[in-house]
Amino acid sequence: MALVHKLLNGTCILRKCPKPSVASYPFLGTRFADYCSSSLQKPAPVPGKASSQRKTEGDLQGHHQRDVALDITCPEEKPEVSFDKAIKDELKNHFWRLKDDIVNRWIGPEGRPLHEVLLEQARVVWKFRGKEDLDKWIVTSDKTIGGRSEAFLKMGKNNQSALLYGTLSSDTPQDGESSRSGYCAMISRIPRGPFERKRSYDWSQFNTLYLRVRGDGRPWMVNIREDTDIIQRKNQMYSYFMFTRGGPYWQDVKIPFSKFFFSNQGRIRDAQYQLLLDKFWRLGSPRSRCLHIWCLVSVHFLACSQPPSCCILMAEREQVLVFLLIKALIPS
Amino acid sequence: MNPLIFTTILMTVLLGTMIVMMSSHWLMIWIGFEMNLLAIIPILMKKYNPRTMEASTKYFLTQATASMLLMMAIIINLMHSGQWTITKIFNPTASIIMTSALAMKLGLTPFHFWVPEVTQGISLTSGLILLTWQKLAPMSILYQISPSINLNILLTMAVLSILVGGWGGLNQTQLRKIMAYSSIAHMGWMTAVLVYNPTLTMLNMLIYIMMTLTMFMLFIHSSSTTTLSLSHTWNKTPLTTTLILITLLSMGGLPPLSGFMPKWMIIQELTKNSSIILPTLMAIMALLNLYFYMRLTYSTSLTMFPSTNNMKMKWQFETKRITLLPPLIVMSSLLLPLTPMLSILD
Repeated sequence: MALVHKLLNGTCILRKCPKPSVASYPFLGTRFADYCSSSLQKPAPVPGKASSQRKTEGDLQGHHQRDVALDITCPEEKPEVSFDKAIKDELKNHFWRLKDDIVNRWIGPEGRPLHEVLLEQARVVWKFRGKEDLDKWIVTSDKTIGGRSEAFLKMGKNNQSALLYGTLSSDTPQDGESSRSGYCAMISRIPRGPFERKRSYDWSQFNTLYLRVRGDGRPWMVNIREDTDIIQRKNQMYSYFMFTRGGPYWQDVKIPFSKFFFSNQGRIRDAQYQLLLDKFWRLGSPRSRCLHIWCLVSVHFLACSQPPSCCILMAEREQVLVFLLIKALIPS
Repeated sequence: MNPLIFTTILMTVLLGTMIVMMSSHWLMIWIGFEMNLLAIIPILMKKYNPRTMEASTKYFLTQATASMLLMMAIIINLMHSGQWTITKIFNPTASIIMTSALAMKLGLTPFHFWVPEVTQGISLTSGLILLTWQKLAPMSILYQISPSINLNILLTMAVLSILVGGWGGLNQTQLRKIMAYSSIAHMGWMTAVLVYNPTLTMLNMLIYIMMTLTMFMLFIHSSSTTTLSLSHTWNKTPLTTTLILITLLSMGGLPPLSGFMPKWMIIQELTKNSSIILPTLMAIMALLNLYFYMRLTYSTSLTMFPSTNNMKMKWQFETKRITLLPPLIVMSSLLLPLTPMLSILD
């Protein structure tokens, strides 16, 4: 099934078709639909809005690129249209990855010797050095549910960082049910093995999340999702706040995993649980709840580390209640 | 959990297994399995968090499916034999279905996928009960129906289990998953000799339970769930480090430790029955298990792993009791000289 999806994706890219949407596959099951919707099409800017937006960003970047969305191919590249070649390449790729998977088992955990895994104190998980690094992230906003926020992700200056920018709008969609709206987020893709098997990150050797960012002075949130194959855990995640200073200097943010608090369906639960580090699926960084503004953050890298001073297992309930109190007092 | 309620639940688990082991009526055996399953669920979820809930759900679904298959096999057997007594399986279909159901309960390949996931999701104490006590009931039924089991299916499952148990544990850093894959491999060894000499299966089961108990008690004592935390035990309790070394080598089947005894006996029994290739393959695949035990031993006991924490005491919320650890250590490492006594089992 995953191969069929990849095949369709491959042929769509080759033929410059829009990606297949969830609605066009009613009979292929929820998992397939979920898989399709997991890679949302990044929105192309409307020409009128884009020009005013570019003016603002032009102050920061100077020279501004034409193509903002990531899935629009440059007119100079002429992709080949070959169905058989796409299938063969895909199969070859998957079998190659399967072979690597089998061989890496001999070497050690995650393909590295055991002593290297046990001795490392920090590991850079995501860095932004090229377009292929951007493909590991999904950018989403409330546009998918009918809102008017927009978000884009592109490489920063000198290909050393990624820039997440866009506009946040708290105008609610006119659907009669939503009372609040306005978010944009960048979410990491679920790591995949051969034949699109879902994998998870094992960060049990580490106890801190380490990010180097340069924000816009506004608070962001960092969300962590664990293995969510089971339907009851689909809406569970662990979150913490990230307060950005606003540049121009890079900011090192270190968040111990014990600080993350547990929430289900967007609500913080009374019963808090320890964040278990052996089955990470996704890291997300949303920004929400403000007026119609533009938002901006540069990310240099995201890593996990193990500072010896940090050895708390989980956030205490009192800490969570303190955060709720502060949130209520400060007007958004 | 309320101590009275916990005691009741624990007694139900014990009672369920006892009913299975002592009954001669198929329906009572099935009831014993169900009692055991329902009572073990709160024990698995004792330390409640979303992961234990997931693990308990997976365990319940797998075991319930196995119980359904078992009931189906019982009814097919009843249709063909007209009796509920557990003597011999009169119908090959019933025998195959029953073997599959019991393999699912034990975690034999190809029904092994739940074992590492469930063991990883629960606490060390619950994992201890899952990998030792919960194996007794299905193994006792396999023992009783061993004359009627299809040899080809059982041997295929056994060999695949040894292979998967060795291969799957190769690049694990989580100790509970390592013990789960070790359990799969040991179940493979037990079922391989079941048709030839069921007594050796029981011997292997006894020795396996002793060694697994010892390992889990050592992990609970040092509060270790990952290879990294285990590698820091030299800094805290050097004696535990030595005991971990001995027990791991025993589990790997190295002489002169106890773990060598069942492997030796099984290979001897299979060779006596003119089966040469099978024990050779099994002995070679046991090297995979030995490899990851040795890797664990290397980082724990044979090297003084760099530790960033200079404290000699690990932060613990309650005092860890070492119940029965000294006799277990002795039994899991020094029983090999008693091998000639095994003739009394014939």
